[in-house]
Amino acid sequence: MPTTTIAVNQDVLAAKKQRALEQRDRFTAQGTFVVNLVSSPGAGKTSLLQATARHWQNRFCVGVLVGDIATDRDAERLRPYVPVEQLTTGGACHLELSLVQQGLSRLPQQQYDFLFIENIGNLVCPASHDLGEHVRVVVLSTTEGDDKPGKYPKMFRTSQAMVISKSDLLPYVPFSVDAAIQDARLIQPDLVTILTSSTRDEGLQDWCQFLEDARKAMLAGRDAAQSLMTTQKGAS
Amino acid sequence: MHEESLIRSLLRQVEELARQHQATAVAEIEVEVGPLSGVEPLLLQDAFERLRDEFSWPLSELSVLQVGLDVLCRSCQTESQLQNFRFVCLQCGSTSLQILRGDAFRLLNVIMEVDDAITARVDTDSRVGQAAISSAGPP
Repeated sequence: MPTTTIAVNQDVLAAKKQRALEQRDRFTAQGTFVVNLVSSPGAGKTSLLQATARHWQNRFCVGVLVGDIATDRDAERLRPYVPVEQLTTGGACHLELSLVQQGLSRLPQQQYDFLFIENIGNLVCPASHDLGEHVRVVVLSTTEGDDKPGKYPKMFRTSQAMVISKSDLLPYVPFSVDAAIQDARLIQPDLVTILTSSTRDEGLQDWCQFLEDARKAMLAGRDAAQSLMTTQKGAS
Repeated sequence: MHEESLIRSLLRQVEELARQHQATAVAEIEVEVGPLSGVEPLLLQDAFERLRDEFSWPLSELSVLQVGLDVLCRSCQTESQLQNFRFVCLQCGSTSLQILRGDAFRLLNVIMEVDDAITARVDTDSRVGQAAISSAGPP
């Protein structure tokens, strides 16, 4: 039987990455800044979102999609603060764009300034899946140990910011903030780092300022691209 | 654990190619993984063994090529291979590095069995997008 070799030489996730890119463009056009929040289980993603909502006090329109393998406990915790939709994966270890898009269609339709996607607690698999976010933020809690960035290089390499959470526990745990930041920056030199305590509302000003600045930069980039297109149209 | 979902994505693409080329069997699927692919080769093989029966064509083998982490320094333009995950250029010390290879799960080649009569047509069938095709039938 003759054989044929088809040379494909393409990322297996190329089509998915393209769909994520298109979704990101739609978010940008709508003025919605999207944050993919990743961490190990129990690092404090939900608490950080509660504290964020408290800090902003309705200054921004915020929506949340929260992923879990089972139960809607995180969604229940967030419901008093913001519109939230639970994404239940039924065992899958990460969120994918299709689940996010399903969740989006169930969220109340309004003009969101920020959309947070709280990923499944897992420092491995979510690193490989683009959800159309503008930034990926990894939350590392002081109880997990400052050696985690080097142990999960892909997650830290693909993140743009790192929130070190539970700073109120620093006196009780062997965690060096400097060591964690140094370890993470070996992998991702441009990583923005922010120290927070959600229970004491510490570092929330820095965190929220980071988000507001990042959204402004996204809007400025969008408007510059639009005006460039208008100018080019006018010139031709 | 997400290796199963990756193998499903892979098999869907191979299935599409096999359909386009009217393959009678798929002899070999060649993939590439690297240190930042987020894929463990052994688990990939396990997932392949579990899922191969879902495939519509007789399927023989998955070969996994493991590559290193190749980077290009944006400052001095030197290409090098990182031996660990320290993103520092060994030449000039810059931390502004672009990953060239080793951070994706790539489908390289699909070797499929085709009927003689069909082999001749394969070259003209270009619905595969950019895929290049070479025939290697017996003399």
